[in-house]
Amino acid sequence: MAHKNYQYCVAENWGKGFIEHIESQKITFRGYPANVWQVPAHNKDANIWINKVLGQIKTIEEAQALVDAEITAYQTDWDNNNIDGETEEEKIRRIGDRPTDITLEE
Amino acid sequence: MSEYKGIHGGKVQNYTTNPDNPIEGQVWYNETDGDFKVSSFNPTGSWATGGSLNDARADSGGAGTQTSALVFGGRTDPQTGNTESYNGSSWTEVNNLNTARSGVRGFGTQTSAIGAGGYQPSPPYIRNSVESWNGTSWSGVSGLGTGRYASATAGTQTAGLVAGGRKGIPGPAGADTESWNGSAWTEVNDLGTGRYNVGGAGTQTSALAFGGNPGTPAVTESWNGTSWTEVSDLNTGRAPVTGAGTDNTSALAFGGPAPSGNGALTEEWNGTSWTEVADLSTARQRTAGHFGTQASALASGGQTPGLTSATEEWTGAGIVTKTITAS
Repeated sequence: MAHKNYQYCVAENWGKGFIEHIESQKITFRGYPANVWQVPAHNKDANIWINKVLGQIKTIEEAQALVDAEITAYQTDWDNNNIDGETEEEKIRRIGDRPTDITLEE
Repeated sequence: MSEYKGIHGGKVQNYTTNPDNPIEGQVWYNETDGDFKVSSFNPTGSWATGGSLNDARADSGGAGTQTSALVFGGRTDPQTGNTESYNGSSWTEVNNLNTARSGVRGFGTQTSAIGAGGYQPSPPYIRNSVESWNGTSWSGVSGLGTGRYASATAGTQTAGLVAGGRKGIPGPAGADTESWNGSAWTEVNDLGTGRYNVGGAGTQTSALAFGGNPGTPAVTESWNGTSWTEVSDLNTGRAPVTGAGTDNTSALAFGGPAPSGNGALTEEWNGTSWTEVADLSTARQRTAGHFGTQASALASGGQTPGLTSATEEWTGAGIVTKTITAS
């Protein structure tokens, strides 16, 4: 069985106290679209944090599907948000860059 | 059973609030929290989540400190003049900019700030207008000599600096630098490398400009009050990048293209070189900056890739307080 470096959960960032300094000094967090969070696998501090934020554990495939759906929705919104005569550069200035795909790591 | 007093020769003292300047390894009991605490050394600095903005936004202006901040303008789709004030825990909506815009850049404090330049999605697109915040409301003041957005800024409400920025769409990346004395702008020496989406930090007489478009240059320039001098590059060139810091010897660069990993990068400047330190928890671009110092900064909103209301608070290396748990 392949060794997992990361585990994934879904948790809503409520702001202050969601990730505290003491936690980010112990483990590395990566936040992704759809409230998906990546933390180290097989790690006591990561498990304590997931429990604290009431995170819903997801497999990498489930997490990837959530991220993909959110990114696709952003891309569709971006593609459909047009003004007649506007150049692509002007559009990027107006609404930002077209969101790119994200591939989660095992 | 061993007791703390027996091992260390002193009792654990009770405090109602944590002591102001604990020494490394000091242990105490916080009566208010009902927890034992210990001070320890954090060698690399860290980000923690802060209070969330009321409105998700990107490309806003900012001023103030980590615990006393002002964010204004930006893009909420469409451009906005919305302004929010932060007390270290939560954001409160206050009076709006008179002119909604994104790419506006700020400097000053939560109660005394300047918002300069910006972009509107309709003619004349590029703004040279400047507004001044008195703690309650914005009012128009003398405009920039050169309209621009996404510039580097530094200074206070009465002694500021604006450098670089984009002057049109399509349009060149500006190198123009202007100095603000509280009532008027004066053109001073240009950046060596024209750019926009550039990070900035410092004061009117001691500032830093780093990163930015076009491309993703790592170029850093130091301002001594008279001219810009190229110094050591960022380890990772990127744009847009956000900054905080007190002068040209102490700054923080964070954020970048998101959702790529570069959008989470954080680097510290010590006056000579950049050192990569702990990443943001969420990669983000076009986050508002200019809050605080190298040791205590704030990243506010941005794109992740959607617009976000999330903020993160940076605490640099140093003594931190930890709660002692039984597990």
